[in-house]
Amino acid sequence: MTEAVRTRGLVKAFGQQVAVAGVDLVVPAGSFAGLVGPNGAGKTTTLSMITGLLRPDGGLIEIHGADAWADPVKVKASIGVLPEGLRLFERLSGRELLAYNAELRGIPRAEGEQRAAELLAVMDLLDSQDKLVVDYSTGMRKKIGLAAALLHNPAVLFLDEPFEGVDPVSANTLAEVLRRYTASGSTVIFSSHVMDLVERLCDWVSVMSRGQIVAQGPIDEVRRGRSLNEAFLELVGAGESGEGGLTWLGSSSG
Amino acid sequence: MVGLFVRLKLRLVAGSLKGTGGRRAGFVFSLIAGLLVAIVGFFFLGAPRILEPGMAADIGIIFYTAILTMWIAGPLLMFGLDDTLDPARLALFPLRTGQLARGLLASSAVGIWPIASLFAMTGVIFGVGRSVTGVLLGIVGVPIAFACCLVVSRLVTTGLSGVLRTRRGRDVLAVAVILVVVGTQVPGLLLNTGLNIGPEAIAGLADVLRWTPTGMVVHGIADGGLVGLAEVIAVALFTAGCAWLWIIALKAALVRPDASSQGGGSVRRSRFGGLLPEGVLGAVAAKELKYARRDPRGRVTWVSVLAIMIVMIISTRSNTDGGPTVWMGVFPVWLGGLVVALQATNSFGIDGRALWMNAVVYAKPEALRADLAGRQLAISVIGVPLLGVTAVVTGLLTRPEWILPAALTGWGVMGLVFSVGSFTSVYMAYTQPERINAFTGAAPGQGGQAFVSSIGSMVGGAALSLPVLIPVMSGFVWVSVLMPFYGFGLAWLARRKASEIGLRRMPELMADVSRPT
Repeated sequence: MTEAVRTRGLVKAFGQQVAVAGVDLVVPAGSFAGLVGPNGAGKTTTLSMITGLLRPDGGLIEIHGADAWADPVKVKASIGVLPEGLRLFERLSGRELLAYNAELRGIPRAEGEQRAAELLAVMDLLDSQDKLVVDYSTGMRKKIGLAAALLHNPAVLFLDEPFEGVDPVSANTLAEVLRRYTASGSTVIFSSHVMDLVERLCDWVSVMSRGQIVAQGPIDEVRRGRSLNEAFLELVGAGESGEGGLTWLGSSSG
Repeated sequence: MVGLFVRLKLRLVAGSLKGTGGRRAGFVFSLIAGLLVAIVGFFFLGAPRILEPGMAADIGIIFYTAILTMWIAGPLLMFGLDDTLDPARLALFPLRTGQLARGLLASSAVGIWPIASLFAMTGVIFGVGRSVTGVLLGIVGVPIAFACCLVVSRLVTTGLSGVLRTRRGRDVLAVAVILVVVGTQVPGLLLNTGLNIGPEAIAGLADVLRWTPTGMVVHGIADGGLVGLAEVIAVALFTAGCAWLWIIALKAALVRPDASSQGGGSVRRSRFGGLLPEGVLGAVAAKELKYARRDPRGRVTWVSVLAIMIVMIISTRSNTDGGPTVWMGVFPVWLGGLVVALQATNSFGIDGRALWMNAVVYAKPEALRADLAGRQLAISVIGVPLLGVTAVVTGLLTRPEWILPAALTGWGVMGLVFSVGSFTSVYMAYTQPERINAFTGAAPGQGGQAFVSSIGSMVGGAALSLPVLIPVMSGFVWVSVLMPFYGFGLAWLARRKASEIGLRRMPELMADVSRPT
């Protein structure tokens, strides 16, 4: 099995708060991988460090065998990124945003325009291609962000919460595009806390809790016959919520 | 209900005292400024007592109109920051319109600025009221004028609230802020140009402004007779009418669906984008040029630059009484070059949280170098012609043979500021808030960085230009030919070095420009 991504002992602390405490993430090439964990588990921090947006305090990151921080020339050309928070160039239109990315990536102008047009069509954004990104809805922003990340045909795609706040129609489009993309042997790693979605899309899952990987492997191995949600709750150690309190809530209490 | 709204507003005011250092400093600043405005305003309205009555009334009328204008403009500029201004925020509370109206009105009367302006306004009773009846009219009239300010300001804000919540409305408003700032400079400019602002001009202005609602109150106080009484009553009726209109507008605003999320129209596709070179340089330059006209921050920057240029040209004209000196022909363009290029001192600031898009691509210093060059190219595309025009105009006002030396000096000094700016951009980057604030151009806590980087670059650029500037100013104007080569040569070297540093510091750079604001 060749590995698309491997980290060893990845560490990041913000002041006293340790966000990532020695993450050893492994994702095989060609997999559709989900990175799941409760809020604050360190998913975003991990993805930011792997994609070169945040400097790790320690540890090693390899993407297709190349050290992400020591050999950025090789790594940056082979990855696509959609970070959290939909941070885009607000005052460009969707079409201009794609053209901008194509030029930054050194794709010839004609080729870039061709790819942008196809991506806009697949993402169902042709009607809004000349509107400013600042006027886009959440779903449209996620789609244009994904289109920008795919434009240079990266080998590995990192997506932070790509389905959060996206309507079902757009989510379906996004999922379809990503499925086609992994079917050709490329790798997708996305973070989420929607277990159903991960279960439906992914063949590989890494579970994070409190800054560490607590389980990872093919999804069936992690599940072991349970639903992913049950497995997840057990792995992150979420106890049953107490029955006490809130007695006033609900119509039965009068 | 009124009490509740007043307490809400007081709590909002007190809340800023509990905040971080920056917010607390902001509060203390407004408190001191409010106190100053109250005292100075009171003095300016009260002191005309020593003048003859007609003049005192004219001054009072002008000040009262200015106060009303500020009451209308201020809340518009504060929209989105003060939650009590937007009726939509209150639409879901179980309140009747009448209750809401009384509460909102009471909450607008509470705060540093309303109290300060009410205090200042009472000055008119001393300054303008010369008869017993005039003073009595003043005691009644000043609260009426104050109420008029409150109601008119509410009426305008509520009426426009639908527009103000849209992205386009906010964009227009952001540029309006700078126009207001520029507008405050106009009187000083007029004085500077030696235009005759004597008593006649004041009387002429007051003749018109006495028909504004607040101007009428002052006129009434000065009159002190039956006409005055009629005027004060008319303003009271006007205020009541506005209040009625406001309640109608409020009712409408409370039930109107929020259209702010319905996106704006399409933008025109670029016609000249094909002229820029392919690759990072062209892409970044094209993006920056789009931001210069589409982003409120870009517009504000260029409007201010333009205003500064105009001010400088006007001041040149006024100083040419004696024989013009080289200084007069070259200095405005030289200073213009410094100001135009100042935007390059925080090159990545305008990208803000979107800078990651560049960062995930740039793997070699060459890419960042092209990026910096693209940003500087965009500034040059607008700045070079602008400085050229400035040079021509100043030249025509002084001596035409100084046009070319002045232009060359201005262009060259841009390059020099670019050189310093490349380093400040990678070492002292700061976040440019999208919500423009008149007091600082940086995120909370980064004001110092912003100050050092812009002042440092200006002083640095100015100092670097001395080797060429001094001979030019001493009369060897042909030395200015060297300036562009010197400036842009140095800028090229600076980009080489700064891009290496910038690439190493990329994660930190991104953190610096994407601070919460």
